[in-house]
Amino acid sequence: MEPHAQTEIARRDPATVMRLSRLGSLHQCRLSFMRQLTRRMAEENWSFSRPAFEIDDNGIGHAVYTAQGPDRAYSLVAFAHDLPADQRSDRVIAEAWDATFALFDGVPTAEDIDRLSQNVPLQEAGRVSESELSLSRANRSVRLWAHVVDRLAAGQQPDPEQIYQVGYLMRTTAVYGSGKFGAADREKTADRTEVSGPFQIEMLSVYLTRVFVRDLVQHMARAKGGDQTADLDPQIARWLGIGNSTGLGMAPFIVNHPVLFNNWIMAREEAISRVRSVETAKVDEVHRFTDAFARSKQSIAWWRSEHPIQLEKLAALKADLKQIDTYLANNDLVQDHPWNRLIHWSESTLSEEGQELLASLILEPYGEIVDGLACCMSDTNATAQVIDGEMPISDVRALIRHSFDWALNLDWSAAKNCARAWYVSEEKLEPRLGERFEEPIADYEQPLAPARDAAMAYEALHEWSDDTPVAEFLLSRPEHRHTVRRAQINRVAPYGEIHDNTISADVKPIDMLRAKLSFFGATHFDPRSDRWVRICMYAGAPYPEELNTRNADLWVYPEIAQ
Amino acid sequence: MTFSLNEVEATAKRATRGAGYAWGVAEEAAKTTRWLCAQGFDGPAILAQLLQREFASCLERHIPTVRNEKMTGEQDLCPLMTGTAISDSPTALSQGTVSISNVAAPLLLLPFVAAMAKKQKKTVEISFDGFSALTDGVHLSCGDCRIDRADHVEIAEGGHVQATRAVQSRAAPNVEAWQFLNTIAHRTYAPATEESRLLGAGSGLSDND
Repeated sequence: MEPHAQTEIARRDPATVMRLSRLGSLHQCRLSFMRQLTRRMAEENWSFSRPAFEIDDNGIGHAVYTAQGPDRAYSLVAFAHDLPADQRSDRVIAEAWDATFALFDGVPTAEDIDRLSQNVPLQEAGRVSESELSLSRANRSVRLWAHVVDRLAAGQQPDPEQIYQVGYLMRTTAVYGSGKFGAADREKTADRTEVSGPFQIEMLSVYLTRVFVRDLVQHMARAKGGDQTADLDPQIARWLGIGNSTGLGMAPFIVNHPVLFNNWIMAREEAISRVRSVETAKVDEVHRFTDAFARSKQSIAWWRSEHPIQLEKLAALKADLKQIDTYLANNDLVQDHPWNRLIHWSESTLSEEGQELLASLILEPYGEIVDGLACCMSDTNATAQVIDGEMPISDVRALIRHSFDWALNLDWSAAKNCARAWYVSEEKLEPRLGERFEEPIADYEQPLAPARDAAMAYEALHEWSDDTPVAEFLLSRPEHRHTVRRAQINRVAPYGEIHDNTISADVKPIDMLRAKLSFFGATHFDPRSDRWVRICMYAGAPYPEELNTRNADLWVYPEIAQ
Repeated sequence: MTFSLNEVEATAKRATRGAGYAWGVAEEAAKTTRWLCAQGFDGPAILAQLLQREFASCLERHIPTVRNEKMTGEQDLCPLMTGTAISDSPTALSQGTVSISNVAAPLLLLPFVAAMAKKQKKTVEISFDGFSALTDGVHLSCGDCRIDRADHVEIAEGGHVQATRAVQSRAAPNVEAWQFLNTIAHRTYAPATEESRLLGAGSGLSDND
């Protein structure tokens, strides 16, 4: 019996949690996928090697990085290219990159590398095989790359301030897994303990990519500076993360995977509920929280964005931090459900940024009642997709009302409520969002407006009697089949639906992107538009040769200089 | 060249939508095609057989109604609409054999029968025109089959599933069928325009920073 795991404070209501503005304010936490991976690799004492680094002085060639776990090995095969600046684009429609990668299942042979060298640099235009688990690419941060190469080549260290503020030397612009472009399906690895959690393959690929990028910048500096070249200070290298530049692809993902997305949100909500239910906190638990809070303030101080939306959110968050300081100075965190009191206070005092920061931070002292929830975050429930056609229509109505009551009386013919449409362009199949009434895109609309579709289905159900099995309705009105499926899925996935209008004139797709990226464990969200965001991954994380159980978890919070 | 089952599923979904079916039916077609590939059938070729018949523009003629205890349609039945009807209402099986007449691409019924078996926790047999298959919802026992239209289909509770088909993790679809699916999938993609390229997805800022 876990004494702490009894909850008396309920999980937060999906109607509160699943609003876009709140999803767009989520922060990483103990359950984030990067931290799951680094904890595991340290606990299981994984070993790492670099069997190949064949890159010339112009920065062209390949390298292999192998991570050996208890049962299996995984290898990043990296190709470095010389990319002209006019071809450098983070969009899906790009056709060349500074570096391209595949994560190989095992250790590749020379033949494998030869095969991959003909395909991986082409990305979507190439083919990989069942031996590959992911396919990805990255572009340089031009300024920081030049700064680090020049400084090292001149025998000097790079300026840490510049590193803190950019955060990475390269940013990935897509990491494709799960059978894309011929790679192995997720089913191949889903039963392997070490990668059964969500996105563990992709997180491992990015972890090894970061090592490659560090080695490559050192190599390029040495090619330029020769004998006088400085070795990059490991303390500075630590703060080089890997960026990620993300467009709209992630937004359809969370709508199209309601069970998976529910499992992420529900695991975090359950963790929050467990910690809020703690009656009294021990002194060292309080200390672990205040330490994580102090260090997260440092991280937030490094968070840069030029986008007006994020500037406003950051200003609110910084004001929140001051309020939290005052609260902590005047309230104990020991007695009388301290975490619940703190969360209650935040709900009436702080912005959603601040509320969600605190909700993530209170989990930090409680690994023993939180970390086990990681195993609930995959989607193993294939039967949830199967429609129960024998369900009476009255029950289907009730399920629709449960998630979309707020949407049923909205005027869906009003332009402002359906101004946008999600579509896929024939141009490299890039997911896009357009103006329904200004562009010829409505005929190509993807089913990414569950609220509107729920309202349409609800209206169509109006003329059907309560006790008719829904199968009869679906046979004559198949256009509502996806909506009935989603409504039934909501029985097992209460956090599977976004409680907002995803096609309204003022929808901000970056809210959906941030929700997903926060579960990866990303920090320093930097929107570049309302539908594009850059983030930082693994900044502060130990490199393979440094990784151990003492530094495998809290690396996301900068150590504060004494 | 082999394809991942995820690629099969994604292509089947887009192709079925491109052929004019509703998204929810396209989702069923995608899972169905993938399931057939996992069981060693050429799922994309079987789906292509159906989509080439262009039922979607007058789907009401291809949707089953029950007459004289038999599922039948005005014209040949669509196996996706018929399949969803049987997997949506699996308890129909407990009332005896389900009979269906005149079905296009009848192998597409197999995955729905498997879903029915899984829900009812029973072994189910489907037979048509000399072909017969047994499934408990996970395993499938039957030979290969190239029948592209069945006059008469029967679905009934069956015996034990023996000599199950080997499960496949890759698909090697017929090249023309795969090309056909991709061609009609293309109908779901919006034409590239300069405005769309500029406004639809990007950051609007340079990536050379």
